[in-house]
Amino acid sequence: MNLGTKELEDWFNQMQGESKKSYNRFKRVTEVITTEPEPQVGQTPKEVIWTKNKSKLYRYQPAVKKTNKVPILMIYALINKPYILDLYPGNSLIEHLTNKGHDVYLLDWGTAGHEDRHMKLDDYILDYLPRAVKKVLQTSGAKEISLLGYCMGGTMTAIFTALHPELPIRNLILLTSPIDFEDAGHYSNWLDKRYFNLDKLVDTLGNVPFEMIDYGNKLLSPISNVYGPYISLADRVENEDFVLNWKLMQKWLNDGIPFPGESYRQWIGEFYQENKLIRDELYIRGHKVELSKIKANLLNIVATRDNIVLPQQIEPLNDKVSSKNKTLHHVNTGHVSVVTGRKAINEIHPFIENWLTEASV
Amino acid sequence: MTQKIPFEPFTMWKDMYEHTEKAWNDVIQDTLGKESFSEGLGQIQSSYLQYHEIISNLTEAYFKQANIPTRDEVANVASLVINLEGKIDNIDDQLYENSETVTKEINQLKRTVGSLEKKFDKVLEILTALDKKIQTNEATTQPEAKVTSQSTPVKPDDINTKK
Repeated sequence: MNLGTKELEDWFNQMQGESKKSYNRFKRVTEVITTEPEPQVGQTPKEVIWTKNKSKLYRYQPAVKKTNKVPILMIYALINKPYILDLYPGNSLIEHLTNKGHDVYLLDWGTAGHEDRHMKLDDYILDYLPRAVKKVLQTSGAKEISLLGYCMGGTMTAIFTALHPELPIRNLILLTSPIDFEDAGHYSNWLDKRYFNLDKLVDTLGNVPFEMIDYGNKLLSPISNVYGPYISLADRVENEDFVLNWKLMQKWLNDGIPFPGESYRQWIGEFYQENKLIRDELYIRGHKVELSKIKANLLNIVATRDNIVLPQQIEPLNDKVSSKNKTLHHVNTGHVSVVTGRKAINEIHPFIENWLTEASV
Repeated sequence: MTQKIPFEPFTMWKDMYEHTEKAWNDVIQDTLGKESFSEGLGQIQSSYLQYHEIISNLTEAYFKQANIPTRDEVANVASLVINLEGKIDNIDDQLYENSETVTKEINQLKRTVGSLEKKFDKVLEILTALDKKIQTNEATTQPEAKVTSQSTPVKPDDINTKK
């Protein structure tokens, strides 16, 4: 950091003991926040095998030999960007799986524009997902497929699987995916029909801006979400690994995308306000969604410290599905640390990989 | 002798944060969970949306007045492109779906054309042979034909009967 005058800098450099340590800490924190470049994310080699509107279907590490016969298609939420699944070399679920010989694909919904404000969940689930599955099967030459959905992407994946029992979906992996919205914590109160004017919001804004969604998430725990990260940074700024992970996390958290308007109307209205999915009352383009029609092997992962999707929103799925092989797995992480960070790298990624390999034999 | 503790702003900040977080977290969580808080949020939301709507309407009216395309109009053009892309994607998908059938049909067509070609060759062969035969016949029967032509002319019906 350039303080502007050499004299002032010399004076700071002459400081001793705690004062110098304190100054260095301040200097380094300021550098990290203001002048240092953002780290590169999503570095695992990939190729685009299909596009539709803003969506892209990626195949990862095409040059690496695939030893597992069943390809994996990852489906992300309509909120935030999917590179959290491939955050950084050595801290990437996608990299881990491809290095173990899995054929991994990711459906990136892209960033919705104003012209996409009429896109409903029906469109994504019935027009995009079936085509993506078909492309994966064609590219891989496989006869079966594994689907992995994260957060809201998992909810969409579960609906898709329930609507298509005829498709060769062998395994279904859901990470912190809400199914039952009876008790969604603070969201249940904030999105109460009596106070939250959903229709007016969508009609006025079209797509719902990322900032609005981010504001809601931060409000769940305002002090720790707003000040907490900066306290942690200042506390551990001398640890370069920590600083890198901090920057990666901040980049992803602030790199959100707008939520397509009609999808938001459905998501809040039919899921949070009316809780239709778990009650078998949800219709997608006129088709009734019955979770009991899911027969694929199921791995349902719950993050016990998650305050965005609470454990009680995830757990009931295992009682609804008809799968013979179903696992409900609890991990002591938060909503994001279920896929990234030390615990995810050391425990969760290998667990998912082992489960997939065993379930695909 | 008392030990002098140097002033450390970060430690003070951290302590303040930890104490505040601990002391206020329960109170904040209680407040966030109250119905009155949701009601307040709803009111803020309504005011914001009203403000947003007024600004949007004014902007749109101004843009129309100034003959500048509005966001909706630009988005409509984008939608046309997206729809077109969707149709191409459908064609691409159908092409792939039908590729096996199309390949089979093309192979069948190739075989049929091949067999037709053979038949044509055969017909051509027969015609050439016939032509040669006619020429030979003409060559051998020419003097007689001259005589015959003088006495009785050949009628077309006679040729058909011979065939």
